Amino acid sequence: MHQLNRISLALLLMLVSAACRGDKPADMTANTSTVVRVTDVTLGRAIGGDKAVTDKTDDFKPNDTIYASVATEGTAASASLRARWTHGDGQVVDESTRTIAPGGRTMTEFHIAKPDGWPLGNYQLEIFLDGRSAETKKFEVKGS
Amino acid sequence: MGIFDKLGKNDDEKPKADFSNVQSGSSSTAPEAAAPSVPDLGPTGTSAPAAPDDTYVVVSGDSLSKIAKRQYGDMDQWRRIYEANRDQIKDPDLIHPGQKLKIPRA
Repeated sequence: MHQLNRISLALLLMLVSAACRGDKPADMTANTSTVVRVTDVTLGRAIGGDKAVTDKTDDFKPNDTIYASVATEGTAASASLRARWTHGDGQVVDESTRTIAPGGRTMTEFHIAKPDGWPLGNYQLEIFLDGRSAETKKFEVKGS
Repeated sequence: MGIFDKLGKNDDEKPKADFSNVQSGSSSTAPEAAAPSVPDLGPTGTSAPAAPDDTYVVVSGDSLSKIAKRQYGDMDQWRRIYEANRDQIKDPDLIHPGQKLKIPRA
């Protein structure tokens, strides 16, 4: 009986060993990185230490600093987040890129300010992840 | 102001807003990714100064619009840089630190 168990164990070990040697040596590194994706974008007037918006709104006043918190999930050695802010029919207000090394859930904030006040009207924020549009948020600047 | 004055005005006729003094920034709970090493960075390590053939080395945080704003004073000129570098830029939203871009001056 013992002999049979030893043979079974040996066979099992051989199978496991063969499977490990098998097809995908490249997967050794795959364990350390997962697909990074944008899970949420929030606009507001202030952020906390965790980079999350604390005063959420999509209606701003001309003198507000406008914050956007971008939540991502996934792990990678490098991921490029880009915020493109536009006004009206697409006039570019600002573009910022931040290249991060995300490890799990991360929060990245982008902010814009204009010392002499934002022109009233409709604006849009588009977030790109590694060059691909991930999410779009519209907001408005209204008079006080 | 008559009704026709009001009707005659639409968004197309408005002069473009001036966003040249917009201040921006970013921060993250994630560390910044290490940029690939660039052998010929300028002395400050931030960007290559405009060489005789007008080359710019992309640094982390750059976009074509930002480079256009810095080089031409107008971020809407990003397409000039894009067109001059079509051989190495497939997607204008995706440039990489260390990339050497031609900056057309003509």
